[in-house]
Amino acid sequence: MIALLLILIPVIGGLINLFIKNESSAKAFSLIVSLIVLAVALGGIYTSQADLLHFDISWMPDLGSRITLELDGLSKILSLLTAVSMPVILIAVYKDHYPDAGKFFGLMLLCQAGMLGVFLSMDALLFYFFWELALIPAYFICSIWGGEKRIQVTFKFFVYTFVGSLLMLVAIIFVYFHTPDHSFALKSFYNAHLTAAQTQWMFWLFFIALAIKMPVFPFHTWQPDTYEQSPTAFTMVLSGVMVKMGLFGVIRWLLPMFPQAASSNSSIIVTLTVIGMLYASLIAIKQDDMKRLIAYSSIAHVGLMCAALFAKQQAGIEGVFIQMFNHGINIIGLWIVVDVIEKQLGTRKFSELGGLAQKAPTLAILFVVMCLANVALPLTNAFVGEFLMFSGLFNYSPVMAGTAIICIILAAAYTLNMIRKVFYGNTVASTEHAHDSSFNVNAALVVLVILVIVFGFYPQPMIDLTRETVQLFITKIS
Amino acid sequence: MNAIIFSAGWGIIMMFCSFLVKNQSSYRHIAAVGLLVLLAANIFDTYGVDFFHIDSGKMLAYTRFGFVFNSIAIASTLIYVLLTGRDIERLGRYTAEFFTLVFFVLCGVCLLSAYNNLLMLFLGIEILTIPLYILTGSDKRNLKSNEAALKYFLMGSFSTGLMLMGIALMYGGTGTFLLESSRLQSNLYHGISFLEIVGLLFLLASMCFKVSAAPFHFWTPDVYDGAPSVVTSFMATIVKVAGFIAFLKLCTVRMSVTSTAIDWKLIFSIIIILTLLFGNITAIFQQSVKRMLAYSSISQAGFMLFALFSMNEYASKGLLMYSVAYCLATIGLFAVLVKMKDVTFEGYNGLAKTQPVLAATNAIFLFSLAGIPLTAGFLAKYYMLASIIKTGTYTWVVVAGVLFAAISVYYYFRVIQAMYFKNGEPQMESFGRSFKLGLVVLAAIIIIVGAFPQALFNWLYF
Amino acid sequence: MNSFVYLLDTVVTGNSADYVPIGIQIIFAAGFVATVMIATHLLGPKRKTAEKLENFASGIESHGNARQPLAIKYFLVAILFVLFDVEVIFFYPYAVNFKSLGWYGFIEVLLFVCFFLTGFIYIIKKGALKWED
Repeated sequence: MIALLLILIPVIGGLINLFIKNESSAKAFSLIVSLIVLAVALGGIYTSQADLLHFDISWMPDLGSRITLELDGLSKILSLLTAVSMPVILIAVYKDHYPDAGKFFGLMLLCQAGMLGVFLSMDALLFYFFWELALIPAYFICSIWGGEKRIQVTFKFFVYTFVGSLLMLVAIIFVYFHTPDHSFALKSFYNAHLTAAQTQWMFWLFFIALAIKMPVFPFHTWQPDTYEQSPTAFTMVLSGVMVKMGLFGVIRWLLPMFPQAASSNSSIIVTLTVIGMLYASLIAIKQDDMKRLIAYSSIAHVGLMCAALFAKQQAGIEGVFIQMFNHGINIIGLWIVVDVIEKQLGTRKFSELGGLAQKAPTLAILFVVMCLANVALPLTNAFVGEFLMFSGLFNYSPVMAGTAIICIILAAAYTLNMIRKVFYGNTVASTEHAHDSSFNVNAALVVLVILVIVFGFYPQPMIDLTRETVQLFITKIS
Repeated sequence: MNAIIFSAGWGIIMMFCSFLVKNQSSYRHIAAVGLLVLLAANIFDTYGVDFFHIDSGKMLAYTRFGFVFNSIAIASTLIYVLLTGRDIERLGRYTAEFFTLVFFVLCGVCLLSAYNNLLMLFLGIEILTIPLYILTGSDKRNLKSNEAALKYFLMGSFSTGLMLMGIALMYGGTGTFLLESSRLQSNLYHGISFLEIVGLLFLLASMCFKVSAAPFHFWTPDVYDGAPSVVTSFMATIVKVAGFIAFLKLCTVRMSVTSTAIDWKLIFSIIIILTLLFGNITAIFQQSVKRMLAYSSISQAGFMLFALFSMNEYASKGLLMYSVAYCLATIGLFAVLVKMKDVTFEGYNGLAKTQPVLAATNAIFLFSLAGIPLTAGFLAKYYMLASIIKTGTYTWVVVAGVLFAAISVYYYFRVIQAMYFKNGEPQMESFGRSFKLGLVVLAAIIIIVGAFPQALFNWLYF
Repeated sequence: MNSFVYLLDTVVTGNSADYVPIGIQIIFAAGFVATVMIATHLLGPKRKTAEKLENFASGIESHGNARQPLAIKYFLVAILFVLFDVEVIFFYPYAVNFKSLGWYGFIEVLLFVCFFLTGFIYIIKKGALKWED
C-alpha cells in the first residue's frame, strides 16, 4: 500500500498542480505534496508490517503483466533519495520566479512519480512504462524553462534515451518469451532460459539503455549539454536522482538476469567506465563554467559506481548502494549554490566571479562543505561509499583501481580550484554588490549539510538498510 | 451480413437525402445516425443476431475478429464524422454524396473483413477504392486535388489489374477461388502449384500498393497531399487499416500454406525495411504537417506489416490494437489540421498558448503515433515487435524497426516543439466547444486503451 | 485427326519444367520484336524535314489548341448509357435460367431492378439528363 501511495500521491498532486494558476499557491501546494511523499517514504522505511510494503494487482492478463510494486532495501534507499531531494529542491528555489509555475512544479512532481515507479516496480513491463514516463515531463521541463539552446539540446537528450529504451524494450520482449511462465515478473525474468549467445545479445541491448541513462562513456555526450541548458531546479533532479535510474537498472535487472554475460563483459565495461572517468575529470579541469564542471564531475562519480558494480566485489557493491544516496545529496547541494550564484549575479563563469566569500560568508561555508563531500573527504558521507567502492575495484583489478584513483586527485584539484576562483580572491565587478543567500536556500543547504555530516560520521543505518538486499544480490550474481 | 447490408442501404438513403433534404447541415446528423445504426447492427451480429440469413455459399466467413474490426472501423468513422463533419460541408455542394461514398467504403471494409473467396476480395477492394477516387478529387476547383485523383485512379486501376491477374493465376493453380477449401488441403500432398505462387506474388504486389508499402508507395504522398484534408484523414486511417485486415487474412490462410515453396518471411522482411526506410527518411525532410503525416502513414504501414510477417496470434491482436491506435490518433491530428490555416510546422507555432486543449490532445495523439507508453500506440507497437520476436527468427528486423521508431520521434516531436516551445500566433478556423470535447474524448480513449488493453481484447472473447 | 490424339496423349505433370517451351517462346517473341525495331532503325533512310515532323491529321493543317473545354453533357449521357447498358446484360443469363431459378430467383432479380431504379431516379432528380439548363 505504501508503495502504491508513493506513486499515486505525486501523480495526483502533479496533475492538480498543472492547473493551479497562482504562482505562490502552486509552489506551496507542490511543497506540501512533496513533504507528504517524504513522510510516506519514511513510513515505508520504519514500518514493521511487511505487507504494507508490497502491492500486487492484475493488470494485463493477456500479456502476463501485473502491477507489482515492492519496497526492498534497494528501492527503500532510492525512494528515500527521491523523496528527500524533492522538498529540498523546492525549498531552495522557493523564492525564484518561474513563468507558469503551476505547470513547472506539476511536471516536477510527475517526474518524481515516474522515477519512484521505476524504483518500485517489480514487473519488467511496468518498469519500462515508468522508465519512459519519467522522461516525458523531463522533456517538457527542459524544453520550456531551459536555457538558450534548450530545444535542440533537450531533443538530443530525449532521442538518446528513447533509442536506448527501445532497445531495452526489444530485450524485455525477447526475455519474456523465454521465461518459464510467460510473465513479466522479476522472478520469472531471473529464471529465463536463454542460450549463451542470446544472453550476450540481450545483455548488450539492456546495457546500452542503462549506459545512456547513467551515462557511461561513450554514451555521455548528451549529459553536459542537458545539465547546462535545463533549468537548475531540474538539473538537480536529473543529476541527483534520474541518473540513478541507470545504476538501479543495472542492480535490479541487468546483473541478476545475465550474471554470466556480465562476468564475461565486465573487463570491457570497467575499462570503458574508467576511461570515461579519466576523460571527464580531465575535461572538468579545463571548464570555465560551474554547471559544466559539475556535470563532468558527475560523469566521473557515476562511472566509478558503474565500475564498482561490474567488478562484482562485495565491498564495492555495498559502497555503490550507499553512494547512490550520497552522490544524490552532494550534487544537489552543489547545484543549489550554482543556482543561487547564477540567479543573483547572472553568470556562472569563473572568469567573471571572485571573492564571493567576503560578501556571502554563509553560502561560502555551506558550499565548501558540499565540495569537500564531493571530493569524498573523510568524515563526509561520500568517503564511506567511495572507500568501499575503491576497495572492491582494487580486488578486481589493481590497475583499474589505480587509474580510477587518479580521478579522485583530479576531482580534488578541480573542485578546490572552483572554490578558490569563485569564493576567494578579490571581488570583481560582478560580485561587488553581491549579498548573502536567502533563508530558504540556507535552510535547504543546511538540511543537506546535516545529512552529509551525519552519514559521514555514522553510515551504519544505511548499511543496515541495504544489507539484506546486498546479500541477496551478491548470491544472485555469483 | 448486417453491416454489409446496412452500410449499402444507408448509402442509398444518403444518396436520396441529397435531393429530399434541403438543409445542408442535417446531412452529417443523418450520417451520424446511420453510423450509429450500423454500429448497433454490427454489434448485434457479433453476438449472433443476424437480421438477414443469406447463404453466401462459403464466399464470406464471419469471425469474431472480423466483427470486432468492423466495429472499430465503424466507430472510427463515427468519430471522424462527428469531429470533421463541419469541414466536410465546406468542401462543396455535394455533402450528402460525400457521406454516401463513405458508407459505400464501409461496405467494402465489411466485405474485406469477412471474405473467404478471392472474388469477394476483389469486390471488396473495388467497392473500397472506387469511392475513394471520387473523394480524392472532390475539391473540384483545386488543381492538386484533380491531379491526385487522376494519379490515384491510374495507379489504382493498374494495381487492380495486377490483382485480377493474380487471382486468375491462383485459380489456374488451385482450381478454386476459395481461400479455405478441402481441395486446397489435398494440394499439400501433391505439391504446390507454381502458378499459385506467381499468383500470390501478383496479389502481394497489388495489396502492397493498396496499403502503400514500399516499393509500391510512390502514389501515397502525392495523393494524400493533394486530396482535401478531410478525405486524407479518412483514406489514411480506416481504408488503409482495412487493407491490412484483408492482407492479413490472405497471408495467414494462403501464404502460410505455401511457405515451403517460397520464403515469404524474407520477402516481407525486405518490404518492411524498405517501407520503414522510405517512410521515415522522407518524413524528416517535410515542411508541411500534412505531407509529414502522409509519409508517417507509410512508416506506420511498415509497422503494420510486422503482423503479416509473423502471422501469429500476437499479429492479429496487434493489428486490432494498431487499427485503434493509429486510426484514432491520425483522425484527431487531421481534425486539428483542417482547422489550421497554415499547415506547415511554423503554422503550429505557439498553439499551446492560444489553444491549450488542442495542443494537449494533439500531443497525446503524437505520443501515441510515436509509441510512448500509456498510449494505445505503445501497445500497438509492442504487439507488433512481440509478434516477430515470438517467431524466433529475423530478430534483426525488430532492431531495425525500433531504430526507425526512434527516427519517427524526430518528426512527430517537431510538431510538439512548434506547439509548446516556440512562439507564434496560429491562425485557425472557428470551432465550437463540442469540437474540443470530442478531441478530449478521443485522447481519453487512446489513454484508456493504452493503460487497460483488456477493455479492447475482452471483446474478442466474450 | 492424328494431331488431336497427340494432344490427348500428353501427360499432365504440373511441374515447372513444362513451362520451358513457353519461356523460350516469350524470349523469342521479345527478341524478334527488339531485333526488328533495331534493324529498321538502323537500316531505314532518315530524312528530317520540318513538314515531316508536323502532326498529321488527314492532310488538313492543324490549328489551335486541342485542349479546349467542351460540354460535359454529352460525355455524361454517354457514360450513363454505358452504365445502364452493361447492367442490362445481366438479364441475359437470367433469361436463360428463368425456369430453374424459380420464385427465389425472380425476387432477387426484382431486387436488382429496384436498385437499378433507385440509381435511375437519383440521376433524374440530380438533373443529369437535363439537356438544357
